[in-house]
Amino acid sequence: MNESVVGAFGAKTVEDVNNAGRAARFIGRGLACAFRALFRPKDYELTWTQMNIIGVRSVPVIMVTGAFVGMTLAIQAYDQLAFMGLEERLGVLINVSVVKELGPVLAAVMLAGRIGGALTAELGTMKVTEQIEAIRSMGTDPVRHLVAPRVLACLLLTPFLIIYADLLGIIGGYFMSVVQLGVNNSAYWTYSASGVELWDVSIGVIKGFFFGGAIASISCYKGFHCREGAEGVGHACTEAFVASFISILALNFAMGVIFKAVYNTLWPLRMLL
Amino acid sequence: MMEKNQKNTQSLSGPDITPDDGIIVCKNLTKKFGANLVLDNIYFAIEPHKTTVVIGPSGCGKTVLIKHLIVLLRPSAGEVYFKGQRIDNATERNLSRIRAGYGFLFQGGALFDSLNVTENILFPVRQHYRVTARSGLDELVKMKLAMVGLDGFQHYYPARLSGGQKKRVALARAIALNPEVVLYDEPTTGLDPIRADVINELILKLQSGLGHTSVVVTHDMKSAYKIADRIVMLHRGKIIADGNVDHIKNHPHPIVQQFINGQVSEDDLAVLRMSGKDLKSQFLPEDFQE
Repeated sequence: MNESVVGAFGAKTVEDVNNAGRAARFIGRGLACAFRALFRPKDYELTWTQMNIIGVRSVPVIMVTGAFVGMTLAIQAYDQLAFMGLEERLGVLINVSVVKELGPVLAAVMLAGRIGGALTAELGTMKVTEQIEAIRSMGTDPVRHLVAPRVLACLLLTPFLIIYADLLGIIGGYFMSVVQLGVNNSAYWTYSASGVELWDVSIGVIKGFFFGGAIASISCYKGFHCREGAEGVGHACTEAFVASFISILALNFAMGVIFKAVYNTLWPLRMLL
Repeated sequence: MMEKNQKNTQSLSGPDITPDDGIIVCKNLTKKFGANLVLDNIYFAIEPHKTTVVIGPSGCGKTVLIKHLIVLLRPSAGEVYFKGQRIDNATERNLSRIRAGYGFLFQGGALFDSLNVTENILFPVRQHYRVTARSGLDELVKMKLAMVGLDGFQHYYPARLSGGQKKRVALARAIALNPEVVLYDEPTTGLDPIRADVINELILKLQSGLGHTSVVVTHDMKSAYKIADRIVMLHRGKIIADGNVDHIKNHPHPIVQQFINGQVSEDDLAVLRMSGKDLKSQFLPEDFQE
């Protein structure tokens, strides 16, 4: 009994390690091919098509997400700040939260749902209908042809989409704070300008680069390795979203720690300059 | 004459074959998926400019075998040669060049949904050639579609094509690069008898017109008899019969006769007769009430 439990545990561990290794190799190859695609004009058309699908068509949903994040923050924080007489500082709280954390993370989660699901479903269907194998049979590397343009498009455009989310978050927060809740317009912007640094905005945009890479790589991997049939594709889509979501949160935490350390290191230098 | 033919083809599936005995040669080819042995020590040479048909019951390893011929699958043991060059251990980069010499017709066609017929046919051309003149491409697509009787369908998307039309477009794509070898995976499966015969006629027409080597995997015996120069039968991962049509029709092996005549075995019948014998064959709504 104990032996069978230990055996099953061991087999599962070996399988998981194998899968992790396979995923790491696939993602590494995908990223390498995406980098090479930058210098291969023949592949620009494929990348351009994906940029349109992934980037341009995501703009409305990302803007709506950003706007609601800003408006909700204003509604939630106003009462507490007003209780202490600090409502004019609402802009700092909203704008720092939006550009540094909530804008990038929620925009990335929205992208994981919109793009990640679509990428996995598309590639998964191509796999079960032997289209990926057909690409190989015609002497083309499916990672170069299918994965690289999608990863590259996500890497390049997610930071821009996050800028859109930030912009609408700021506008949404302003609308609720100043227009709806009556915070002083001039004070709102003055405090915002003094509290939000270029560094904060840059952090959000840099995060977008990593989030985009994670979403595209994970979704393509799940699509390429999905099981047969409609259930297999559906299961792969769910797994892709969950894995992307967790990766976004984990990357956000890791980058939070790293950027804080970098900021603390550079802060004295800035004072000197 | 028949004896000679039989002897020739049998020597193309024995352990004494060399890499130069055929355009594609498999030596000691073995494939396992986990503990499941699918191909068991196969020796097999394919003659150039002829049509070799691989038959066998569903699940016997036909598709796995044909995918090894183009190294879409790597063998667990053994070797695969293309024109005398070993390819089973080649890198994907080298295989890219080698695969340009092959055309592969997949069972479901495997046309790219997002591309129209023209773009599907031009896919392999764009991958292997630097194209600057669009007019030449249009000419090529027209020629390939005319070969499969579908000129005029250039702007159709796969979703608008019937099953038979999809296979014909996939065939046009498979021959787009004028390959030396065309592999067909169950080309007539899922088609009505008339459409299936259209595909058979196309295979014959392309074979005689282009002179390439064809390898066809099928369990459709009517199709096999019509197009084959040589028939190889797989059973439980091994080759149990190899010869021309007459040789296979008169083969003494009972499994070969059972398969080509489409007869269920006595063992299977016995299982079917016994299965569910002691159970009720009908139920009533009352059976589901407390």
